[in-house]
Formats: sequence, C-alpha cells, structure tokens
Amino acid sequence: MTTNRPKEQPIDPRREIPRLTSNVKAAGCAAKISAHELKQILAGLPKVHDKNLLTSITNFEDAAVYKLAEDQAVIQTVDFFPPVVDDPYLFGQIAATNALSDIYAMGGRPILALAIFSFSTCDYPLSVAAEILRGGADQVVRAGAIVAGGHSIQGSETLYGLAVTGLINPKKMLTNGGAKAGDAIIMTKSLGTGVSLLALKAELLAENERARLFSSLTTLNNRPLTVLSESEIDIHACTDVTGFGLIGHIHEMTKASKLSARIIVSSLRFMPSCLELAREGLVPAGSYGNRKSFESNVSYINDLPLEVTDLLYDPQTAGGLLFAVAPRDVEQVLNKLNKEHIEASHIGHFLEGIPGHIDVTVR
Amino acid sequence: MKKQLDLRGLTCPEPVLRTKKIIDDQAVLSVEALVDSEVNVQNLERLARSQNLFVKKESLGSHFRITMDRKKDHSQKDQADEVESGKELSDQNMQTAQASLARGGGTVVFLPKDTFGQGSDNLKDYDFSHNLLNVFLQTINQSGHKPSAVLLANSGVRLIDPGASTYKVLCDLKDGGTTVLACGLCLDYYGLKEKVPLEQITNMFAICEYLFAADQILSP
Repeated sequence: MTTNRPKEQPIDPRREIPRLTSNVKAAGCAAKISAHELKQILAGLPKVHDKNLLTSITNFEDAAVYKLAEDQAVIQTVDFFPPVVDDPYLFGQIAATNALSDIYAMGGRPILALAIFSFSTCDYPLSVAAEILRGGADQVVRAGAIVAGGHSIQGSETLYGLAVTGLINPKKMLTNGGAKAGDAIIMTKSLGTGVSLLALKAELLAENERARLFSSLTTLNNRPLTVLSESEIDIHACTDVTGFGLIGHIHEMTKASKLSARIIVSSLRFMPSCLELAREGLVPAGSYGNRKSFESNVSYINDLPLEVTDLLYDPQTAGGLLFAVAPRDVEQVLNKLNKEHIEASHIGHFLEGIPGHIDVTVR
Repeated sequence: MKKQLDLRGLTCPEPVLRTKKIIDDQAVLSVEALVDSEVNVQNLERLARSQNLFVKKESLGSHFRITMDRKKDHSQKDQADEVESGKELSDQNMQTAQASLARGGGTVVFLPKDTFGQGSDNLKDYDFSHNLLNVFLQTINQSGHKPSAVLLANSGVRLIDPGASTYKVLCDLKDGGTTVLACGLCLDYYGLKEKVPLEQITNMFAICEYLFAADQILSP
C-alpha cells in the first residue's frame, strides 16, 4: 500500500525507512495471546473481591467496571498492538477505534484516554510517531473523549494503543451475561478483518477492498447502541468481536449467560474476498489459536467448508458488536440500524442448553 | 520440473505468497517446501487444496517438509488414493481429522461415567464402582488387547483428572498407541478443562464419528 506521509517531512535520503509493518509478526488482535494460554497465565493470580467491582475476570468481560455511586460507575480498559497497516495515521486511528470499543461494549461512553506507545526513533523518523499519535487522538475526539497524556518507550517493535476510561450508570451496564434463552444474536460489521489484514500485508487486496477494510477498521462502535437506546430497545447482553473471533466471543457470552447458542452461517456477513483468500491459505496464526482454544465447544451440524470455519475463528481487529435482544425486537433493531446505514445482521440465537456450547448450522 | 523452497524463518503470509508464485507456473510439477511453524504448514495445505494439488507433510524435528504434486502426473489409481490422503491432510479441522482417524474402526471403549456399572446404593457403593473401573482399565492395558480409542464423557472425564487413580492407566494406554479423548463440554462442566492437554479434548461430533466407525464398543 502507499504510505501517506506528510510532504514537509524531512527524510534522510541515505537512510531507507522500513515499512511500518515490516517487523510485525502478528497483526492487530491476531497478536493476542490465545485464550487457552491466557487461562493458564491467569490461573495463579490472587482472586479479587470488592463489592464495588461489578465485573469478574472469570467472565472475560471487555472492560473492568467499578461502582462509584448508585448511579455512576467508572469503566476502564486497555488495548494496544503492533501496526496493522503501513500508514501511521491510519494505524493510530485503528488502534484507537479498537481500544474505545471495549467501553461501548459495556454500554458506556468514553471520557478520557491515555496513550501507550513503544517506538524506535532509530528506525523511523519522528514524524511517523507523530502521525500515529495524531491518528489515535483524532479518533478519540471523534468519540467525544480526550487523550490526556500517555507513556512512551523506545522499543524495537512499534506498539500503540490506549488505556480508556469511561462512565456508565451501573443499572445500564451491558455484560457478557444476561442473555435469555430464545434471544436473538445481532452482529454489526462484517467478519474477516484478520484474513483481510494478512492479505493487505501480502498486497493481495484490490483498491475497493482496501477502502472497505479501512472504513470498517475506523468505524467506532458507538452508534449502534446510541440508536437503540434512543428507541428504548432493551439489550440483554453485549460484547465486541475482537481477538478471540466470533466463536470465542459468543462462547464467552454463552458461558456468562449460562446458555448455549446457535450460529446460522448463511446470515453472516463477510468482508469481500476473504473466504477465497482463506481458502488459499491466507489464515492468520491467531485463527488457529482460536480454533484450538474453542473448537471443543462447537459442533457443526452440517459439513462446512474449511474456509468458512476459518472465518468463524478469525481474530477481528476493531470488530463489530455482538448483542442479545428479545426475538420480538429483532425486526425493529435491524430496521433502525439499517436506516442509519449501520451494517447489522441477525446471526443466530441463544438457547437453553449446555453453557458454552455452540451449534453452527448453515441456515 | 521440481522446485525446492526453503521458507524457514519467514512469517505468514510470506511462505504462502512465495509458494503460490512457484505453483502458478504450470511447468512446475512438484514443489518441496521447508517451513518451521505449524501455522505455515496449515496455510500451505490450504493453498495446495485450493489449487487441486496433492499435498504431503513430514515432520523433520525442528521443521516440516511440505510436498505438493500436480495430480495429472499420476495414474488413475494413485489419483484416487491421493484425493483421499490429500483430504485427510488438508482437513486440519480437528473434528474431521479425528473422524478420519476413527475410520479405522477397531474396539472403542466408551466411558460416559466414572464407575464400572452401578452399586445397589449409589452413594455408598461409589468408591467400589469407581475402583472397579480402574481395575477394568488396567486389565485391558495388560491383556494385550489394544483398543483404538478410549472416549470419556460426562462424569467419565473425571478419570483423566491428573489427581484421579485412573490417570496413570489412561496415560499408559495413550503411550501404547490408544487415542484417549475427553468431551470438552464435560471437562468444562466438571472444571477440569485446564488440567487436560488440548490435543485430548474433543467434541460430540468426533465422539459420534468414533462410535459409528467402531467394530465394537465396550461400555461397562
């Protein structure tokens, strides 16, 4: 892809600047430590008990929520990763979109962010660093919050992200738990950013496919919930689809809600070309890690092509929201969101059953 | 024409891209690629299948050798064999991989509870029934009979808890070449999921495949 550096930037002609993604092993949320490894790492940590802590680490919530008063709680989250694109401004925007998403997934609104930044000033000009931070800060402003500071270190691998603080009324908090048997699962955005980012790195995406990918990666997850809360639609549970892929995040919802789920493949939306790309072997390492971590919870009722199941495990960067609503609200939810040009589909439902179990069917 | 590629040290997607470039040339009939990660192996297997090539994987200790061949260069009989083995290799999907192993049939020991039968008083006789199951497994192990698989489900998954008295004999059976698998949902339910190696965790689909493929099923 073409880099979008500002023209006034002084570049030493004797020194070749490496691509921002050149020393990155795994991109975006695909760089996450897999769920089964993470469980082993976290197993020995002291258990925390505080009556004001409204989230539990065992439910793998998107963010921590701490009650300050009866009607106010603070939400905190942190998220950072290596560059997923070569354009530094775009990378900053994507990382911020991804970090802010955890606040929205809890039903909150972001107010404050601090930047986390690892960068090698020997390998890249300072203007690249400035562009990354500017991309992130612009996106935070777009979300109605501010970047109030941050911390930076010299590091051989570029990393950028945000620690974000948000606010919420505890009674309106949305967690992985709370879904009811029969609830419909609604997903916003399309699946396949993991495969698409790999294809981007391999320079296999057409111009329109890149534009589509970048637009998805920089779309904040604030609007779906704003639109629905204005219509007073009751959302029972919510999360965002990120590193653990669709299956991993639905699994967390089913476990926390003590239900099973059914995903209907024909109702899923995929990014353009990504099924074909996965079929040819453009599958990120994180997808295999997710398959390993979650496959024992899944049964495929029909024999699905490998590339389809690859996409179900595809780690998403700045992915969409997953939420549970009563079946009678589905039509209204989809109408409202479509009217606002928000991509959304009804991808399955929660059922009474073995907690954590997921059936995948064609239709 | 046969090509050799050393793709060790390269990260995804580089190995796929370089191999694709080579096999796009129809004059290349066979490619042998060295890679050093499981992810690259699986991605090259997907690439081969998408291009209708026969693919073979060999593990060489610290790395793998992937061989891809064009099908048209083999006799019809070979072709049929290769379609079959090509499918097995490329279906990295755990379920189908295990299901294809299950095709062998043999004797499958199915243990959907952690006791051998049931005593007259469920609670009081539990220890006896449990110990009897341990004796059963040890007897199988020493008998010279080699089951193709031992499948654990429901409270049967407790048998593979490293703290259980039956743990050792299940390890011995596994070392002797028997596939020992436990139902993932059940492990989760009994809080044992973190104690069992991932490759021994399976799902209902694979359990069904094993049971249907078995020549005989023992379920005491």
